[in-house]
Amino acid sequence: TRSCLLCVKMTKLGFLRLSYEKQDTLLKLLILSMAAHPNTCLNELFLVGSYFNYRTTRFLTEEGFYKFHNWFDDRAWYPLGRIIGGTIYPGLMITSAALYHVLHFFHITIDIRNVCVFLAPLFSSFTAIVTYHFTKELKDAGAGLLAAAMIAVVPGYISRSVAGSYDNEGTILSQRYVVYSNAFKKASIGKVLEFVKYQIETYTLLFKSLVLFLYWLMLGKISPWTGRFYSLLDPSYAKNNIPIIASVSEHQPTTWSSYYFDLQLLVFMFPVGLYYCFNNLSDATIFIIMYGVTSMYFSAVMVRLMLVLAPVMCILSGIGVSQVLTTYMKNLDVSRPDKKSKKQQDSTYPIKNEVASGMILVMAFFLITYTFHSTWVTSEAYSSPSIVLSARGGDGSRIIFDDFREAYYWLRHNTPEDAKVMSWWDYGYQITAMANRTILVDNNTWNNTHISRVGQAMASTEEKAYEIMRELDVSYVLVIFGGLTGYSSDDINKFLWMVRIGGSTDTGRHIKEHDYYTPTGEFRVDREGSPVLLNCLMYKMCYYRFGQVYTEAKRPPGYDRVRNAEIGNKDFELDVLEEAYTTEHWLVRIYKVKDLDNRGLSRT
Amino acid sequence: KMYEFFNQIPPIFFALIACFFRASLCAEGLVNEDVKRTLDLSSHLAKITAEIQLANHGASRVSGFTLALEAELAPHLAFIGASVKGEEEEDESLELKETTVHGQSGKFFEAQLPSSLAPGAKLRVKVETVFSHMLKPFPTHITQAERQLVVFQGNHYLYSPYPTRSQTTRVRLASKTVESYTKLGNPTKSDETVEYGPFKDVPPFSQDAMKIHYENNTPFITISSVTRTIEVSHWGNIAVEETIDLRHTGAFLKGPFSRYDYQRQSDSGISSVKSFKTILPASAQDVYYRDEIGNISTSHLQVLDDSVEVEIRPRFPLFGGWKTHYIIGYNLPSYEYLYNLGDQYALKIRLVDHVYDDQVIDQLTVKLILPEGARNIHVDTPYPITRSQDELHYTYLDTFGRPVLVATKNNLVEQHIQDVVVHYTFNKILMLQEPLLVVGLFYILFFTVIIYVRLDFSITKDPAAEVRMKVASITEQVLTLVNKRLGLYRHMDEVVNRYKQTRDTGALNSGRKTLEAEHRTLSNDISALQARLKAEGSDLAEKVGEIQKLDNQLKDLVCRSCQEAERLVAGKVKKDAYIDSDKTLSGKRQELVSRIDSLLDAL
Repeated sequence: TRSCLLCVKMTKLGFLRLSYEKQDTLLKLLILSMAAHPNTCLNELFLVGSYFNYRTTRFLTEEGFYKFHNWFDDRAWYPLGRIIGGTIYPGLMITSAALYHVLHFFHITIDIRNVCVFLAPLFSSFTAIVTYHFTKELKDAGAGLLAAAMIAVVPGYISRSVAGSYDNEGTILSQRYVVYSNAFKKASIGKVLEFVKYQIETYTLLFKSLVLFLYWLMLGKISPWTGRFYSLLDPSYAKNNIPIIASVSEHQPTTWSSYYFDLQLLVFMFPVGLYYCFNNLSDATIFIIMYGVTSMYFSAVMVRLMLVLAPVMCILSGIGVSQVLTTYMKNLDVSRPDKKSKKQQDSTYPIKNEVASGMILVMAFFLITYTFHSTWVTSEAYSSPSIVLSARGGDGSRIIFDDFREAYYWLRHNTPEDAKVMSWWDYGYQITAMANRTILVDNNTWNNTHISRVGQAMASTEEKAYEIMRELDVSYVLVIFGGLTGYSSDDINKFLWMVRIGGSTDTGRHIKEHDYYTPTGEFRVDREGSPVLLNCLMYKMCYYRFGQVYTEAKRPPGYDRVRNAEIGNKDFELDVLEEAYTTEHWLVRIYKVKDLDNRGLSRT
Repeated sequence: KMYEFFNQIPPIFFALIACFFRASLCAEGLVNEDVKRTLDLSSHLAKITAEIQLANHGASRVSGFTLALEAELAPHLAFIGASVKGEEEEDESLELKETTVHGQSGKFFEAQLPSSLAPGAKLRVKVETVFSHMLKPFPTHITQAERQLVVFQGNHYLYSPYPTRSQTTRVRLASKTVESYTKLGNPTKSDETVEYGPFKDVPPFSQDAMKIHYENNTPFITISSVTRTIEVSHWGNIAVEETIDLRHTGAFLKGPFSRYDYQRQSDSGISSVKSFKTILPASAQDVYYRDEIGNISTSHLQVLDDSVEVEIRPRFPLFGGWKTHYIIGYNLPSYEYLYNLGDQYALKIRLVDHVYDDQVIDQLTVKLILPEGARNIHVDTPYPITRSQDELHYTYLDTFGRPVLVATKNNLVEQHIQDVVVHYTFNKILMLQEPLLVVGLFYILFFTVIIYVRLDFSITKDPAAEVRMKVASITEQVLTLVNKRLGLYRHMDEVVNRYKQTRDTGALNSGRKTLEAEHRTLSNDISALQARLKAEGSDLAEKVGEIQKLDNQLKDLVCRSCQEAERLVAGKVKKDAYIDSDKTLSGKRQELVSRIDSLLDAL
């Protein structure tokens, strides 16, 4: 911005006597290049999905396309395996692999990992440029620049496009907007007919697929993933029918606060932009209105879809802010305050100049606070990899909990190559990518029954769980436990979902959610807690030997800092398991499943 | 019969006997007068030092002697070194060459003395040997609460081809706790040492099994493999990266690992390794410590005066049988390691560096990446090392690849931390290759952009845009012309000023003439452009017309000020009057110029 100002000053002073057109281009270029400057930070992968994508990309670059296409992954979903080559959308991987090979052809020896890490920021800078062009088609260059500047910092989009989030979502937007703006360019050139044709084609395609969808629906041949789409149409569907979708925090309905947190100013300027669009109805504005309103609805259904909303919010707010500014800028009397002009003041619009400058100041203030808010949110909430946790110590210093990687790395180097690790599905991708071990279930939740089986093992007593674990050939079990550090998204807090999902299939019909509650209907881990809970495998794995640990001063040993309770079942030994590893802060606990004893009898 | 017997013996046997005689000949008469052996078993290495007093009891001078190692110990030998103890307390290390001694098992080294030993003379020799993986954990599997016990099996006597008159053996252990030890000759044990001997008159090649079973909780970590990559850049940097595989080679952990016990009780898992210190060169910068899954956050860096200490803490404590893998890297300034004389370069750098105290490296691979274009490479290693096929390495901006020297060696210890010297020639012109490549690349990029911008790739014609572009180019020309014309006036002012001082009418007239001529051509050009603007239907033509009108007035003013000056010089007008009129004229001019400027801005 400073260079922009400098440049404007220089043109004013006549150092650079550029024509207005050139000045305009220069300013646009400067603003866009700043907006498109990638937001880079750590060289780590952040999101869970990224690990899987990274792993597949590495496979593609190392093994080549054909092997990738025929890739059957036996490291996940043991014993079923997963056909990866045929079931994933390879666009992302092919893009980065191609980039990698092109760079290496020129002897720019960048690690494939870095390509993956920086792909999202690269594409997000494209998004900024494309947003400019798209909004320019809708209104004018001013609105385009504003929208581009807004999308460059909007937290809702940065959360998915920051360096290290390597996912389709971060990269898809720029491509989509290229299509849109091209379509409108076509329309504005005058080849409306072609555009309409194109639209009709897309609509027929959509219609056909809808018919097909309904046909499938009637036949009852819906594959599990369509559940997610169901829940889009009917937000309560997942809650009532598919616990596995409802259990994901990303799939929860969005709260008002998160709208403000992720969008701030845009929430208020969005209606202004909508108003402008309604005032100037054209094909393009109707499109953006529809786009805006539908994404508003979708984002309200799932937090995850905030990503869809954020760019259209930027576009509409850009239009809105630009409209407000142009309206009042016109009224601003920039000529020198001569005595003559004061006399000529419009009697129908008193203090016109003051109102205009006031409005512009207010807008400037809003825009500045928006930038500060975005920077703050990004640095606080979206800039730390979810794999490394941090907390403030008593003296204000930062304490790092790197327990996840500690555990995964231990698994990688100190367990047999063919060990099978059972854990809740949330950690599946991380374990395959970091620990390089076979897992039972992962974040690609395609097989509900299999996940349910794991849930049943976790929710059963040791004896029952041992049967399931023997059946699934499990050698290690991994749980996340936050009781010592106060990490609240641990497995005990997720446990009710395991019970629900475990009980949702035939083999787990005996697992009933209400058995895990106290008679008064509470979920408690202390002495009052239900005995079923206090003796299930998950409870025992999390709290094994925890009863002896003093966590807080003036509290009895075994005080759980997440549940704020002294645990109810303290002195117990494990029959079928053996503690294999526990990380420094007890965040991850790994147990080894004991073999059958010499006589081949069960341990219990 | 006898004849037949001799016939059956193959001739090679005679050759071997001859060999044996030659070997024993040069050593004949040597006697180990007094031997002090020290067995340092306080770490996971077995360091055996022997101080020997050699005496020549033979009749002839002796130029060398033979060192012997037991067959059981030989495969574990990591390092052997011998030195002569001089009178001035200055040790002179001896060169060792491996030989064989017929009829005896084991490993033998021939040491060459700097000056031959006269009959009856004596010499003090110090022999230092380091053995790895000699201490065997027993029991081989222990629980977390148990302590680590190890067994050492060796020889009570010095294994030597010469008779020994008297010797003592002192064993240093890692702790007071000793389960058992062989009791040859009633050894005395005090705290952490066991002393054997003195043994008198021991014949050559004597062996008597020594076995000590004791507690040893020192870190039993072994570097199972390390790849050390040294990348030399002539731009002032040497990048070093070590990829290390580490393994705890002590007693295996049996049963569960309990974090609770490990945190609560200080002696729980006493033989495990939590962290260790790596000492890097003092000039090491940008140290990184990472592994396959990212940066390892548990490490501390301490910059000391003569070194950089990194406290390496693996992600998890290493118990018996556990292993880990990590990468440590840093940059060094090249002026400390790279020397040159013209095109001749010499790199002197450590072949292997410190990882932890008492380190053992099972397998070392060194990769030395020299700059692109290095030729006539010659390597001087401090000890024999296996060279593999050279490779080529490509990195940023490389075209034909950098030469990579690859060398491997097994079983290394701390004594192997020595410098390697690599000589090569490098043409300094090649340094320019990479910057030129970048320059060329940018040149091509900008050139293509220029071409792309200048050419019209659209398939449709947009008359409005074309007109706009035309108008823009015409106004651009108008701008430069008008600016030029304003410049003429400024130039004329200078001419007038000079005239006022020099009173040279000729110069003034010629100045006026050129002004007239140039002004005419410029004005004509502008009028032509104005006509073209009009033809394009642009309303800017009117503004240009206005500029022309203003300019006419401006020119008149300039002419008038010129005339005034003439009159002043001719004395037709008084100085005060001239100054007044000049002021009004220049005021008018100022106003006209600013009006023209504002018109130009509006163009």
